[in-house]
Amino acid sequence: MTLPSSPARAMWPVRAVAAALLAGALLSGCTTFSDDGRNAYERAQGEEPGATADATESEKPEPPYDVRPLLQPDKEYLGVAADGAPKKMDAVKDFAERAGKKPNLIEFYSAWGDRYETSLVQNAWDYGGLSFIAWEPFDVDLKDIASGKEDDYIRTYARSVKELNLPVALSFAHEMNGFWYPWGTKKATAAQFTAAYKHIHDVFDDEGATQVIWVWSPNVVNPMPKVKLKPYYPGDDYVDWVGIIGYYATDGPSTWDALYGPSITQIRSFTKKPFIIAETAAQAGERKPADIKDLFQGTAKRKDFIGFVWFNFDKETDWRINSGPLSEKTFREQAADARFGFDVTKP
Amino acid sequence: MTDQQHTYQGYGQNQEPYPQQPQPRDPWQYQEEHQFYAGEAHQGQVVPGEVVRREVTESGSWMFDGQISAYTDQQTYETYAPYDPYATYTAPTATVTAPAPAPQPAPAPVVPETPGYVLPPVPESAWEMDTKRSRLLGRLALLCILLIQTGLSLRLRGTAFQDEALYIASGHYELANLLHGDKLPVDFAAYFSGHPKLYPVVAAVVDSQFGLTGVRLLSLVFMLGATGLLYSLTRRLFNPRAGLGAAALFSVLQSTIVLGNFATYDAAAVFLLALAAWAVVRTDRMNVLAVLLAAPPAALAFGVKYASGMYLPTLVVLAVITAHRHRGIRAVGRGVVLGAGIVALLGIGYVLSGPLGGISSTTTDRAKGTDTAATMLSHSAEWGGLVFLAALGGSIAYALRARMGEMPWLGAETSGRWRRVALGLVLTGTALLAPAYQIHLHTEISLYKHVGFGLLFAAPMAGLGMARLVGPHFRHPQLGILLYVLTLVFGMVQAQRAYSFPDSTQMTDYLRTVVDKKGTYLAEEQEVPAYYLRDKTDWNQWQNTYFMDYRGKDGKQYTGPDAFRQAVRDGKFDAIVMHGSVSPATYAAVKEGLKNNSHYRLAAVFPFTTSSGESAYRIWVKR
Repeated sequence: MTLPSSPARAMWPVRAVAAALLAGALLSGCTTFSDDGRNAYERAQGEEPGATADATESEKPEPPYDVRPLLQPDKEYLGVAADGAPKKMDAVKDFAERAGKKPNLIEFYSAWGDRYETSLVQNAWDYGGLSFIAWEPFDVDLKDIASGKEDDYIRTYARSVKELNLPVALSFAHEMNGFWYPWGTKKATAAQFTAAYKHIHDVFDDEGATQVIWVWSPNVVNPMPKVKLKPYYPGDDYVDWVGIIGYYATDGPSTWDALYGPSITQIRSFTKKPFIIAETAAQAGERKPADIKDLFQGTAKRKDFIGFVWFNFDKETDWRINSGPLSEKTFREQAADARFGFDVTKP
Repeated sequence: MTDQQHTYQGYGQNQEPYPQQPQPRDPWQYQEEHQFYAGEAHQGQVVPGEVVRREVTESGSWMFDGQISAYTDQQTYETYAPYDPYATYTAPTATVTAPAPAPQPAPAPVVPETPGYVLPPVPESAWEMDTKRSRLLGRLALLCILLIQTGLSLRLRGTAFQDEALYIASGHYELANLLHGDKLPVDFAAYFSGHPKLYPVVAAVVDSQFGLTGVRLLSLVFMLGATGLLYSLTRRLFNPRAGLGAAALFSVLQSTIVLGNFATYDAAAVFLLALAAWAVVRTDRMNVLAVLLAAPPAALAFGVKYASGMYLPTLVVLAVITAHRHRGIRAVGRGVVLGAGIVALLGIGYVLSGPLGGISSTTTDRAKGTDTAATMLSHSAEWGGLVFLAALGGSIAYALRARMGEMPWLGAETSGRWRRVALGLVLTGTALLAPAYQIHLHTEISLYKHVGFGLLFAAPMAGLGMARLVGPHFRHPQLGILLYVLTLVFGMVQAQRAYSFPDSTQMTDYLRTVVDKKGTYLAEEQEVPAYYLRDKTDWNQWQNTYFMDYRGKDGKQYTGPDAFRQAVRDGKFDAIVMHGSVSPATYAAVKEGLKNNSHYRLAAVFPFTTSSGESAYRIWVKR
């Protein structure tokens, strides 16, 4: 007797359904379990795709340092650049003792290629001083910086800044309007300077190194009046301080207004950013005590000036405040002004 | 079996009375095989004089693997054929040698009459009837399923997603409005996809006690409840095994896993829909009016999330199909009663709640997107394809045969074929509603959640499909395991990808140091900081990155990205928080506005990774 059904036939729906399920699984698996899918999954787990477990260290929970109160403090910075500081604070302490007041801004120099000296910044901070780094692009072409060839270095630097999470003033390629440095007017154009400056700033922003106070630091225009400053200015969104540099030299202008006035007039035509005198000192000589007094008074008088950095070196000439007893005395008297110096940790 | 059972009449297609005689036989029926192995259960069917027959004559042939093998009955041995539920029996060829069996009394003609009482269909669960023990086992298995679901949901972690932040925060404002009559910062009802005075208020109450985790746990409870109800209703529709299959498959879906740890309306709506469906099925043998018990949860589901409305027709049709006591127009009446009940409740709700602009802007008349049908189809297939296929298989298998025939002696009553086909069509077809509707709208927003709504209805058929795949007497357990494990792996991986949004911890911590009661803040996904910082800021201090009208300081009126650009140029905002992955156009405009802008300074960058890549919160503050 022939029958309408057989086990083989009875099995077909089961097999067909199983086959359909498998086919469906494979089809949808194509996307869910593709490389992209796996990467997406790992990222969703908070991992770098393909990374090993130890590479997934979480970010420091500490919020980034808010530098805003340091940008335009009510009082004036009393800054110093001193020999060996801030690696060894002896010179700074000596300066403080002679000046009768602790400086709260410590400037030092860093060449292109140097790593971000976190220990120095920490040292200065522990002493009560904000670090001011003049970042000098020796041995590198500004064009290469702007084109991104130096990005690895800049990123590493920026990440260190972010990781340390202490405020720092950074002045890239200072005195760019002078001819004496390799990044000066003889070797580079204004456009190349601004492009490099902006690029560094952008990379820092990209890395989230927001602890930087950006200082645009031209020399006073007096030695090279033909070089206009405006083309060198990167823009208000790239600059926090205008860090003007001008020394009282025996053969140069003898008053605050004569020394800084022409530059201020030019700069104020394109920005309202606060000024800081990024480097200054008075050449040893008879005029020095008067110059010191002029510097303090001139700086304190203008609301848009937030202080100065004294270049306390005996280099080329003796710029130190203790080059003569009268200078030291005058400096001490002037620094006693309550408007100078404040606690940078609690501005 | 009792005589009573022999004579009662089912109302399905299979209306023949239980056959009294072993012959003539339908090869699909298994009457004969009982004579070989059934124990006591078959005693009542065996014709008198069995012993005599065996001694003398009977020999039958069984067909296994396409071959007919003859077993010659011998009087002293029982014949044990390897059991095969698909085996078919041929009537013994009449090679009677000895006295013919005593002539049997002709069966009394069955008088079709309306039964005084209709027995419920006996659930087909295993070799035995649905006993206490099998019920206990079923519940234990369900417990395991729920535990796995809990684990899968709770392994997902993250700070509040935009929608969660929005609903909970709005709930706090709505609650203050209800309790103290405080003015609402905005008319949430105008753009919410559910009623702002339902779920958000509950969420806010839980949030003030237990925080976001508490609200998410509430969602987990809802989803676990939905799985439990799904088990219960499928068990009643079919059998416990299908119930377990449905619960197992539904519990590991991507949408179920995500919604179980997601503080939005969805979990509550899924639960209410499940409750309504359960009530529809549970009242199947009760008075028609009992189906009204399903109306409140159904109406509430719509109120909680308007998109649930798409599934209310399914409930109504389900009420018709499951109307066990009624046929024809009376079954339709059950649906009408339920439909009328829901409509009445919704009407009352509408009168009480006033205008709800949100219904049209979020659900019925949502802005059309640009997502293509192909993408959405392939995504829907990824998210629910397996379960849908299983449901399809279940529907087909159910349409072909009401039962697997494990207990042929129970072959009494099943639903008729049309009813079975309709049930499969309605339940399985419901899974297609959400993808179809969103393809119509060209928008994939929330589709990954919405597929889960439809699959809730398809799950009973999928559970049945799984039970059929496993086969009678657990013949192919590996296939069922395969299906479950595949669904689980897909669900787990996809849930991890879907449940991935920016970690806002650092961002809100930082903003906390920046914000005050007066400022204006532009933030991408502004609901998140507005929720976390609601103690320090007011809702309206946060400007979203979607729409803005702005009169610039130059006196011109701006809209769209131009408005954001100009407002940033003018320094309108005290802080700006962007990451660009939600509103790229606004992000670009804001960046342009920040160019050469001395108002702002980048204050913080907090990188985060989501499944779509790496990004970072960038916070600009006024200098």
